Formats: sequence, C-alpha cells, structure tokens
Amino acid sequence: MGLQIDAFAYANRLSRLHPAYKAGCSLLALCACLVLDRPLASVIVLVLMLALTTVWAGVPWRAVAKLLFAEGSFLLAGVLGIALTVSPSPTPGSVSVGGMWVGVSAQSLAQAVAVFLRALGSVAALNFLALTTPVPDLLEWLRRLRVPEVLVELMGLIYRFTFVLLDSLGHMTLAHEVRLGFASQRATLRSAALIGANLFIQAFRRSQRLEVALRSRAWNGSLRVLPWQDAPRPQR
Amino acid sequence: MKLTFRDVHVAYPGRETPALIGVNIEIAAGQRVALVGRNGSGKSTLILTANGILRPQQGAVMLDGQPVQYDRRGLAALRRCVGVVFQDPDDQLFTANVYQDLSLGPLNLGLSQAEARQRVLQAAEQCGLSHLLDRPTHSLSGGEKARAAIAGVLAMTPRFLFVDELLHHLDPWVRREVLRLLCDLASAGCAVVLATHDWALVRTWAQHVIWLEAGRIFRQGHPSAVLTGPECPDLEGAPC
Repeated sequence: MGLQIDAFAYANRLSRLHPAYKAGCSLLALCACLVLDRPLASVIVLVLMLALTTVWAGVPWRAVAKLLFAEGSFLLAGVLGIALTVSPSPTPGSVSVGGMWVGVSAQSLAQAVAVFLRALGSVAALNFLALTTPVPDLLEWLRRLRVPEVLVELMGLIYRFTFVLLDSLGHMTLAHEVRLGFASQRATLRSAALIGANLFIQAFRRSQRLEVALRSRAWNGSLRVLPWQDAPRPQR
Repeated sequence: MKLTFRDVHVAYPGRETPALIGVNIEIAAGQRVALVGRNGSGKSTLILTANGILRPQQGAVMLDGQPVQYDRRGLAALRRCVGVVFQDPDDQLFTANVYQDLSLGPLNLGLSQAEARQRVLQAAEQCGLSHLLDRPTHSLSGGEKARAAIAGVLAMTPRFLFVDELLHHLDPWVRREVLRLLCDLASAGCAVVLATHDWALVRTWAQHVIWLEAGRIFRQGHPSAVLTGPECPDLEGAPC
C-alpha cells in the first residue's frame, strides 16, 4: 500500500498543484473535524475529502476505499475500549466476564461512534494530502515554511530509504519463501525473526555505505539540493 | 593532470593485514584504466584512498605532484577532481528525485544555484537522463539508477572517475550504454578507472591495467603485457 500511495501521489490530476493548496485544504478539513466535534460534521468532512480525492484528483475509489478500510480497522480496534463499559455490578444488556460485567451503553456507543467518525474524517483529510502530493513537493514546501533543515533532511532520507529497505525486505522474503521458510506457522515465525534481524543489520551497513558515498561527494554536513520546483518536467 | 600513489600503505583498524601495501601507481588524464584482482585484494580500498575517504598511514597520494592535504579544504579540492561511483547505486542516490540528487555534489562544492542547475542539466544530458529528472529515484530501473549514480558524480566535473564494480549487475544492453558513456568521458579528458572482474572487457577496453593481489600491485601496464600467463583466470579454460 505504501508504494501505491506514492505512485498515486505522482500520477493524480492534482500532482502539479502547489502543495500549499492541498495542505491547506487538508488542514482545514482536519481542523473542522477536531474543532466542530460533531458526528455530522465528521461525516460531511469524510464524504467531502473522499469526493475530492476520487473525483477531483482522480485517484481510483477502490484504492482510496482499501486504504480507508485498513485505517478504519485500526480505529475500530481503538474505539472498542470506549464502546465497552466494565462495571462490578450488572447493567442492562451486560454479560459477566470473570466476575466483572461488560456491556455497551447507549451513551458509550454514541461516544465511540463520534470518536470513530472524527478520527476517520481526520484520516481521510490526511489521505487526501498523501495521495495527491509527491513527497519532494511537500519537503520543498516545508523548507520554504522555514521548518528546521535537519528535520526536512531527515524526512527526505527516511522517505528515500524506506523504499530501499522495502526492496531488501522483498528480496529476503523471497529467499526464505524459496527455501520453504513460510511452510508452517513455526517456520513463518522463525523466518520473520530472521528477516527482521537481517534487515536491521542491512540497514546499519547501508547507513555506513551511505556516509562514505556522501563524503565522496564533498558532503559538508548538510544535504543541500536545488529546489524541486525548478526541475524541468518534460511532457509525457 | 596526474593522480599518483607513492608507496601507499593503508590498514583498517583492528585488522592484522594491511589492505594496501606499498602501492605505486600513476593515472593520467584521459586514460582508461582497469583495476582487477580477487575479492578482498584491495580494489575498493584503493578507490576510497584516491577520494580521500581513507588516509594512508604511510606514503602519499598526490594530485598533479602535490600531496593531498587531509583538511576540509584539501579534501574538497581532491573530491572536486576525483569522483567515485560505487557498486550499488542505491547507496548513492540520497534524495527523493533525480534532479535534486544530481544537484547535491555541485552545491557541496559551493557553486551557486544557477551554476549547479547548469551542471545538473549537462550531466543529465551526458548520461541520457534529461527526461527522467523529475522522476523519484526509487522508481528508476537498475540501468537508470546506474546512470543517475554516474551523473551525480559527473555533475561535479571530476578529472578522475573511479567506478567500483558497477557493471556486473547490469544487463548487456545497459552495460554497453554505460561503457560508451565511460569511453566518451575518457575521450573528453577524464581518466576513468574501472574496478571489474570482467577480464574480457579489460582486454578490449582498458589502456592500462592495475592488478592487485593481497593489497600489493601484482602487475601493471598494458593489457597485452599484464593479462598473460597461468595466473589469468580467463585463460585457464572452462572448469568442466
């Protein structure tokens, strides 16, 4: 999904639009969700952001739905704690679990729904930004906003090397798969542990090679590059 | 312009055997040099020493007869002249897109943004990357990444270009393109030093061969004189 988000960020109808507009739109929606704090407002924001992402930006609705579903699943797990009430004495509709009474009250359910919708609306607002704005554009904009250079550089490096590590992860997974590394639950656990450890070592070694390569290009402590907006963008 | 190694000894901390022992070489502008030898023979160490990443414990690296100074200014001057392209392009593409990556070296050299932009466009043109400048680096193919890595160094207009086993994972077509680019560079006066295990290529491409064995120069000279005798692995015939 991570790679897909990146691909859409470059290939949507709004990719050339200045990031300030998209970030402004996204932040406005996010603030509306957080400040208004009403389920209806959250639903309106959610629908609006989905419409902007799919209709205006032209990101396929299936991809947006898939992303929102994944995020929604996490949110659902999070709001379960709000929806469920636990008390030592029985309440209407509650069940006994280990000497305690667990149930769902109308009030807690309403609260959980409100939190869920608020979070989902906020997530949809950020999805709009992530799915329509290439990361270099965002970084450049942050630079112009005078966000500390070290933060922007770190974000850029993390972004770049996420893909390199994903690539390594893919190769390692394949290497385990061809040696029946995922043939049973036990083998899967073992392979996952080995891949995790190996990935950490690879990341460490790569960081050393990265430093050498940077020094060879006369690096002086700061990753100064030309503004991305000035890059010639050929028509394809 | 000449890059000279005079009796260079380099050892890594914590290792008993030095990686380079008494290395004497001289590389002239426009020369096509092949650096050969077994894995661990010292090829990469030699390249890192040429760029000032490693400092010799004994002997000297000299640029146009002047010993390299290992302070900030001296290293900047050395790296302006000596560029390195490493084995894995992913280790040297740092930024999110090709355009910004190519600009890193020129800006590090203290050039203005206008000059750096000019260098980036030139290097991209030279390496056939002009149409890919706006592309994210992670979306490039292996061959494109290799060319982007070379372009990133060329944007610094080096006089000596060291290429560390970059070719071995490229397909024959891309390899040919990269070799053509390296030949063009040499014709334009930039010395190209290619570390490789491809002996057939060395015979046809190189004008000078440096053969390292266990950190020492085993042989060096014209390929016809160096690549002879039973030590040459490609003359032994097929193992089965």
